[in-house]
Amino acid sequence: MLYLLASGGLLSFNTGFAIWIAISLVVFLLIMMKFAMPPIMQALEGRETKIRESLEAAEVALAKAEAISKDNEKALREAESKAHQIRKEAMDDAERIRNERVAKAKDEAEQIIEQAKADIEQEKQSALVTLRKEVANLAIQSATMILDAELDVEKNQKLVDNYINDLTKN
Amino acid sequence: MIRQTMTNYLKFFYTLLFVVLLGSASSYAADAEKESDSPIDIMGTVADHDYFTFFGKKLYLPRLFLWENDLGELKFSTYSSTKKAIASGEFIDIDHVITPVTGHMVIDFSLTSHLIYFWFGLGALALLVMFAGSRYKKGIGSDTAPRGAIQNLFEIFYEFIRDEVAKPNLGDKYRTYVPYLFTMFMSIAFMNSFGLLPWAATATADITVTAVLAIFTFLVTQFSGTKDHWQHIFWFPGVPLGVKFLMIPVELIGLFTKPFALAIRLFANMMSGKIMIIAILGLIFIFNEMYGNIAAYSVSVFSVVITSILYILKLLVAILQAYIFTLLSAVFIGMAAEEHEHDHKHDEHIHADLSV
Repeated sequence: MLYLLASGGLLSFNTGFAIWIAISLVVFLLIMMKFAMPPIMQALEGRETKIRESLEAAEVALAKAEAISKDNEKALREAESKAHQIRKEAMDDAERIRNERVAKAKDEAEQIIEQAKADIEQEKQSALVTLRKEVANLAIQSATMILDAELDVEKNQKLVDNYINDLTKN
Repeated sequence: MIRQTMTNYLKFFYTLLFVVLLGSASSYAADAEKESDSPIDIMGTVADHDYFTFFGKKLYLPRLFLWENDLGELKFSTYSSTKKAIASGEFIDIDHVITPVTGHMVIDFSLTSHLIYFWFGLGALALLVMFAGSRYKKGIGSDTAPRGAIQNLFEIFYEFIRDEVAKPNLGDKYRTYVPYLFTMFMSIAFMNSFGLLPWAATATADITVTAVLAIFTFLVTQFSGTKDHWQHIFWFPGVPLGVKFLMIPVELIGLFTKPFALAIRLFANMMSGKIMIIAILGLIFIFNEMYGNIAAYSVSVFSVVITSILYILKLLVAILQAYIFTLLSAVFIGMAAEEHEHDHKHDEHIHADLSV
């Protein structure tokens, strides 16, 4: 068993070994400080900055999106209420127009009926007048025939007139 | 002379360690340790070696010596293994320490198992960073979300160090220190985790490694020190003149206790876990030798259960200690680099953290 410790003890300081370690450590530390670590440190710091910035940007974007969505919702609600109003107005209009039409149609129908009634009455009157004249003529003619056959035209005329007058009264 | 006192201290340390860990078996284990037929080899498992275990095979590592011969000439010799070094006739093995036959060793530059595992730690981190780097270069993770377990795991650790360790302690200047702190955290975590493998060595269970790591934090701290930092050490503001002089040694000691505590904390935590497991599993073999195999079987139940629990704890400690080392490094650097108004809250902060 060979101990390299100069006096064979555990607590002795071995100079040659220490020099080896010091040289190794100096070289290693220099490489780490100059070449190995800086790119890694930069990469990680860059990533952290990027993440932080992304998070901040995301927060801003989220706030913006929230505002937009709030606006949208408001607009939607407004549009909805407007649509509702328009529909209501349209329904009212339709109702009114329908009522108007119905009223107008009723009026027209009434007018037509009135007209028809008036026409019928008129026709009836004129028919009556014509009939009366016809009857009178027929009576006269018949009377003439009778007078021609009989006598006294005057007395008979009087009788006929009286008869017609009585007819009219009835 | 320092070495002599160190050795004395170590003897005391070992004795204490064994008494605490093995109780009545301690003297036995300590004695057995010196013999070659020891049932368990605690020191051999935690100490550094001249070989590296690879799929159960020992790969001997090259030995490099800077030594001075008796003529006073400085020589640098390299051998492919310890055996070759001894075979060359220039070196002999005295108590497991390779020594020149003539003259003395100046610095032993030999590669060791701990060094190999230290390199493994750095290498694992290098692979991870290269992998992650190529991903980010391709845009995966930089333009899109990270993909796959490895990249996500990398990001968890990286962002943890950056956001939980660097940012709160270093303020606006944190970017400069993130590579350092990340490297420290990950390499220590890798080394600690490699130590969990039964055949592997824990590089951080070596005081030399943790000391060098702590020295690095110390140097980074001092080089990023502001005027305020130095003023607090040499001319403490807001206290009477006499106290200012009193504060100089206190602050100077404080300057050095911080890295010292860093080194010892990591070392002791990693070492203790390893020794605990070896000692508890070693009980099986010790009982086998002392009381026969029936005792060993019954102890093995206890040992295995405790070891399993300890392993979970060690996994936690492996990451936790890497975190503590990195966090305290960040705290120390942050304190030195801070441009503060003269409030003294930060001092309380240090003391609170040092007790971790």
